[in-house]
Amino acid sequence: MKELLNFFIEIGKLKRKKRRGWVAHQIKNPESTAEHIFRMTFLAWILGRKKKRFNLERVIKMALIHDLCEVYALDLTPYDPLLPKDKKKIKEILKRWPRFTPDLKIKKYKSKYKSESRALDKLLVKLPPNLKAEIKNLWLDFEKGLTKEGRFVHQVDKVENLLQGLEYWKKYGKIQHKLWMRWIKEWLDDPVLLEFIRVVDEKFHKKETKI
Amino acid sequence: MAKEKKFYLTEQGLERIKKEYQDLKNLKLSKTKGEIPKIWQSEDLNPEYLSFQEDLSFLETRIAELENILKNAELIKPPPKERQNVVNLGAQVIVEVDGQTDEFTIVGTLEANPALGKISNESPVGRTLLGHRAGEEVVVSSSIQTIYKIKKIKYNIS
Repeated sequence: MKELLNFFIEIGKLKRKKRRGWVAHQIKNPESTAEHIFRMTFLAWILGRKKKRFNLERVIKMALIHDLCEVYALDLTPYDPLLPKDKKKIKEILKRWPRFTPDLKIKKYKSKYKSESRALDKLLVKLPPNLKAEIKNLWLDFEKGLTKEGRFVHQVDKVENLLQGLEYWKKYGKIQHKLWMRWIKEWLDDPVLLEFIRVVDEKFHKKETKI
Repeated sequence: MAKEKKFYLTEQGLERIKKEYQDLKNLKLSKTKGEIPKIWQSEDLNPEYLSFQEDLSFLETRIAELENILKNAELIKPPPKERQNVVNLGAQVIVEVDGQTDEFTIVGTLEANPALGKISNESPVGRTLLGHRAGEEVVVSSSIQTIYKIKKIKYNIS
């Protein structure tokens, strides 16, 4: 029980961990990692109900654990490693979507995977073996898209980011919403999520469509 | 009867699926044959027992999923030389978007990983690029339209 309590205390830190992407966009009081996980789990569960022969328990658990590694690992953004400390320079960088060479994409991917995997192992080290194995297995599935549930939840993560980005754009206007809409169309291929994005697009860009 | 979904895979992707299928079948065999934890015969709720139970049911689901993939797998092959100027599955496409250059490989959904530039043929961008030639501009639409200019197409399937 003591180990479980320590684990709960550690993951509680995600309630106060502000998401770096929104901090870079200078969003006032940006969401925390736990807040992202909260809505993403609802999206995964409720949109997952529209899928046939889907293990929803696996989907929900995967959404819950997908960012636990961020207790110790850096919450990387699509702009890393381009983000400078100078706020003025950050603004310039955020105007364009970051594009990288194939070699740099591989390098970034491997380094992110390695640091997050290590961070997760550190978090899980004292948990009972079966729980540790279950969480690690779910995370690997999420990261690598090994099962249909893993591929779905991975895309739901992007959908939640987009939704939050569009909400901030409406509220503060600091988000390059067009770049985000473009990005999501490279990432998603799940029919349920593509239909959901169509509805999101309609809601947030209604006036622009009329023009 | 509904048509079963085809899974387009590169040779490398197909080999990976075949290997995983074989490994998992061997694992299941060893688990059900002799390597069952002693607690199997006991009524105690040992965590190892629970873990084994859980793994076995997941294992079986995964084996069934892999069987379905292998049954409906279609290998991505490079098109004949005269068709290699057209974007098809397996193509590496260099595009220009908003003055920026990017490179994508068009793959089936199982191998898609946009973080590595592997775009699904079922994604809006992948779908739109298919069938187009170098020099052409394609528009991915919604309320916001994006133009992708195809600069170069290569095939290097493994």
